[in-house]
Amino acid sequence: MALVDFFQQYPNRRYLMYGGKGGLGKTTFSAATAYYLAKKGKKVLVFSVDPQASLSDIFERDIFGKGNVEIMENLFACEVDADTRIQAYQEEIRQKIISMYGMKKIPEEIEDYIRASSAEPAMEESAIFDAVVDIVVKGDFDYYIYDLVPLGHALYYLSMASIYDAWLEKITNLREQMKEYDKAIATMKREEDTEQDEVYNELMYIKERIGNSSKIMTDTEKTAFFFVLTPEEMTIVDTEKAAQLFARYKVPLSGYIVNRVINRELLKDNIPTYLKNRIEMQVGALEMIDKTFGSSVLSAVPEFDSEIKGLDVIRDLAEVMFEEKLS
Amino acid sequence: MEEKKQEIKKKKKSGGIVGFVRDFTYGMATHGMARHALKQRSSMEHLFILITMGDMLGIPILPPYYSLRLLPHVVPQITTWKRRMLREKDLMDSMY
Repeated sequence: MALVDFFQQYPNRRYLMYGGKGGLGKTTFSAATAYYLAKKGKKVLVFSVDPQASLSDIFERDIFGKGNVEIMENLFACEVDADTRIQAYQEEIRQKIISMYGMKKIPEEIEDYIRASSAEPAMEESAIFDAVVDIVVKGDFDYYIYDLVPLGHALYYLSMASIYDAWLEKITNLREQMKEYDKAIATMKREEDTEQDEVYNELMYIKERIGNSSKIMTDTEKTAFFFVLTPEEMTIVDTEKAAQLFARYKVPLSGYIVNRVINRELLKDNIPTYLKNRIEMQVGALEMIDKTFGSSVLSAVPEFDSEIKGLDVIRDLAEVMFEEKLS
Repeated sequence: MEEKKQEIKKKKKSGGIVGFVRDFTYGMATHGMARHALKQRSSMEHLFILITMGDMLGIPILPPYYSLRLLPHVVPQITTWKRRMLREKDLMDSMY
């Protein structure tokens, strides 16, 4: 199957993700896919949560932390600034404490805790995935293309989501038991029934958010996850391993795209040994890819002689990827 | 039926002997139970803070991002909770 057919066959898959090792072309493919779909009249948002995001570079526009920026007709790009988001979130918590208890200042130990939380290892990932929920839940776009942070983070988050779930389950149970006690005490003391448990409501909210964020990555109806790889043995082995891990977390793997294939025709010319060797290496690796992934390989994209930057080059790439002339 | 309910309500409201008897029976029969329940409830509250805010005592708790949302709700209990968690156990404990 070709990449074009995929989009025709599965029009419901609105959340697209390119995954793979760093530097293999995830951002490039995200941009090219966004370009293609936008040209086809779909409203597309391509977004990144990577602090070293390269959407700004590829579109040659500074969009970091600026919300949804229109790149061309139907094509919007967004780079989420995780740090600023965490700071805003912490401030929101501070304000809430101040207004809840009519305090002038946050008590020192509480302030310390809030400040220390930004150094916690999972803080950034959680903030990132929470931001993604915000972006996707709005539903203003036909397609959401998620330029993922390198694989490790995504896997880390998915495994974290299941731990979050277990944690929530426990504390929700505890909270329910506490509520029972509250009721019993109220009856014994012949008081009115106790008020609403705000904490319980918060827990339910958190549960929903976490459910949503891991669902975006694992929704078999709406999500398509593509792996990017290059014809090199090491990459192939790594990709295979990663694919198995992702499958374990029920990420709907939809296919593989091979990047940086050097034109084999060049072998006929009089070319330097270096290039010749590289092409031969790739020939071997491509056979291996065929054996390992077979018909799941949706597209093979050649090595470009210039850096992929700016809409013109993105269009060239999209034309190769989707095997279609775009005006 | 309605009348009876009304009557009971009236009785409840009226102080005097009836009220005294009610408070007395409460004191005799249920006060201990209520106290016990309250104690249980507060241990649970402390347990709850421990598994959501354990970081404050250096016990690593997994998801800091969302537990921060719960922080405002437990602010008043934090100090007592810390004191209770960090104090040394002694003989007097059995009395409380």
